[in-house]
Amino acid sequence: MPTPADTTIRPRTALKAARHTTHPVAWWGWALLLATAAGRTANPWLLLLIVAVAGLVVTWCRGSEPWSGAYRVFLVIGLSAIAVRMAFYIVFGGSDGPTVLFSLPSATLPEWAAGFRLGGDVTAEGALAAAYDGLRLATLLVCVGAANALASPRRLLRSVPAALYEVSVAVVVALSVAPQLVESVGRVRRARALRGNTSRTPANLMRTVVSPVLHDALDRSLALAAAMASRGYGRSAGIPVPARRATSAALLIGLIGLCAGAYALLSAATPAPLAWTTVACSAAVSAFGIAFASKRVPHTRYRPDRFGWRDWAIVASGAAAVVGTVLSGILEPAALWPATNPLAVPDLPMWAAGGILLATAPALLAPSSRGGTP
Amino acid sequence: MTTEPEPRPSDPPGTSEATEPDASSPSATRDEATGPAQSPVAAPRPAVRWKAAVALTLAAGFGLVAMSWPLLAAPGGALTETSSGPWLFALLLPLVTAVVLLQLTDGGLDARAVAMLGVLSAVVAAVRPFGAGAAGVETVFFLLILAGRVFGPGFGFILGCTGLFASALLTGGVGPWLPYQMFAAAFVALGAGLLPRTPETGTGRTTELAILAVYAAFSSLLYGLLLNLSFWPFAITHGNLAYVPGGGFGENLSRLLAYSLATSLGWDIGRAITTVALVLLTGPLLMRVMRRAARRANWV
Repeated sequence: MPTPADTTIRPRTALKAARHTTHPVAWWGWALLLATAAGRTANPWLLLLIVAVAGLVVTWCRGSEPWSGAYRVFLVIGLSAIAVRMAFYIVFGGSDGPTVLFSLPSATLPEWAAGFRLGGDVTAEGALAAAYDGLRLATLLVCVGAANALASPRRLLRSVPAALYEVSVAVVVALSVAPQLVESVGRVRRARALRGNTSRTPANLMRTVVSPVLHDALDRSLALAAAMASRGYGRSAGIPVPARRATSAALLIGLIGLCAGAYALLSAATPAPLAWTTVACSAAVSAFGIAFASKRVPHTRYRPDRFGWRDWAIVASGAAAVVGTVLSGILEPAALWPATNPLAVPDLPMWAAGGILLATAPALLAPSSRGGTP
Repeated sequence: MTTEPEPRPSDPPGTSEATEPDASSPSATRDEATGPAQSPVAAPRPAVRWKAAVALTLAAGFGLVAMSWPLLAAPGGALTETSSGPWLFALLLPLVTAVVLLQLTDGGLDARAVAMLGVLSAVVAAVRPFGAGAAGVETVFFLLILAGRVFGPGFGFILGCTGLFASALLTGGVGPWLPYQMFAAAFVALGAGLLPRTPETGTGRTTELAILAVYAAFSSLLYGLLLNLSFWPFAITHGNLAYVPGGGFGENLSRLLAYSLATSLGWDIGRAITTVALVLLTGPLLMRVMRRAARRANWV
């Protein structure tokens, strides 16, 4: 957490560093690859290592923006996921073993209510399996939290395909209007207090606070629309009809293919390779449609966000973690999914651990946007 | 009145080098009662409408599969043999959403629709934290339902997406659950826009409110169940409540119901009650405000 002392010097350094900071897509790629690695194992050492690596990179590379505290929030959510998982195990049971820790009074639900047993013996083996499972979910959440803490949402929004220009403009408008709403509520309430209205009944609040704030916001949106229109907003011209038709066709074909692929994945009648190929091809066609539509949109970019070698290196370091887990899965599969019955201290798979340690590379590659030295 | 929230040049993903400002030309065929409304799709090329409808239908089918695959996957199917199902769909859903949004906005949303979307998304993002304590997004639904009703299904769909996206960006809540939430919320708002019309009379308005309340209860329960379903294979993997890969429909359905009962039924019911209450309490006022804005947006 920043101390008050360094808030005074931050603005200049942050501005300077903003030109070189990592692309948000690179952070998301890195975090999702790390999460993929976490999804491929239940080994507690590896999972804790992933949490540690994510935490290290976050403390090293995060800025001082409002969202930078997300890692801690997600850490708390992850811990509660473990707690919930344990509570599930204790109440609803799970895998069993010989080492009984304690017994709860048990009841078996009747057959029409799924015939589950509630309560009963709580074993060390079962509790350990539940803890590993909860830890895996918590690690996934922590990886997402790391991405939230590291990637700037506004810059992420700039990576939205150009074809979705209007929609992303709407989101940008939303992001800048939301703080004004808070200010608007304050203004309306002050005016209300000055008029001597201190009633706290919901009906009165609705009429004298909510309604004016909403009217204000919607009127403001009309003013904004007029401003946008007068500055030449709008882009529908200049796209030839054949191009438009081709885009539409590609998008619809891709969508139909995705539906067919999803159906093929579900049914047992279709061979798996065919189903996966259908899904992959139609996803590619849809992506092509979006890319094609983006190309046709006449627009310029102000200070384009380049995806440089650093960004590629960060994604590659995340991929190293996945490669490590895959190698371990081939060479030492038992260590990736440690047995909990009989109880044993799990081994540390070397390949996977090495790959995950490589994922700390961003701590060295990405300059801290706080301007401090790492 | 405060200053205009003019998007700064560095913000939008691409600052458009102005082409033709034809967005400001009022289109003569707008329905006075529901404003621009009716559909942002309306702008210059009405011919795209059927494509947007087809895309929406296909996307609804895909979304249903993406959320309920644990129930639908047949034993021996490709999905039951891997653990990648949720990830696959979490990656494909944004693509499908983008395709649908592209079809809906094909031909350009006009400036009024964009500004209205932005402001309403900001309202969604602002009220969302009030419900974050106990029951997820329940303070958002009444707004989506009312806005979908007033501004029409197409606008509702886009608003569901942009509203939840903006609120996730503001609160740092982007994650694998976001595509599912956006998609489901978009369809909640879309459904509200498809509800039957009622006359502009006193009884008509009461009927409208009653229809919306019933729809609110139904859609919040369904939303809870579907989101539960999408996260279920992640949340728990052993024991009586866990998803059994290849377990078949009956087996997994009873497990899912038990899981819902044990985890989220209280929340889902809470969400349904709060949404219905908010729709009934704020509906008349909010719909009046939004209809006024829709009328004014006709650029008189």
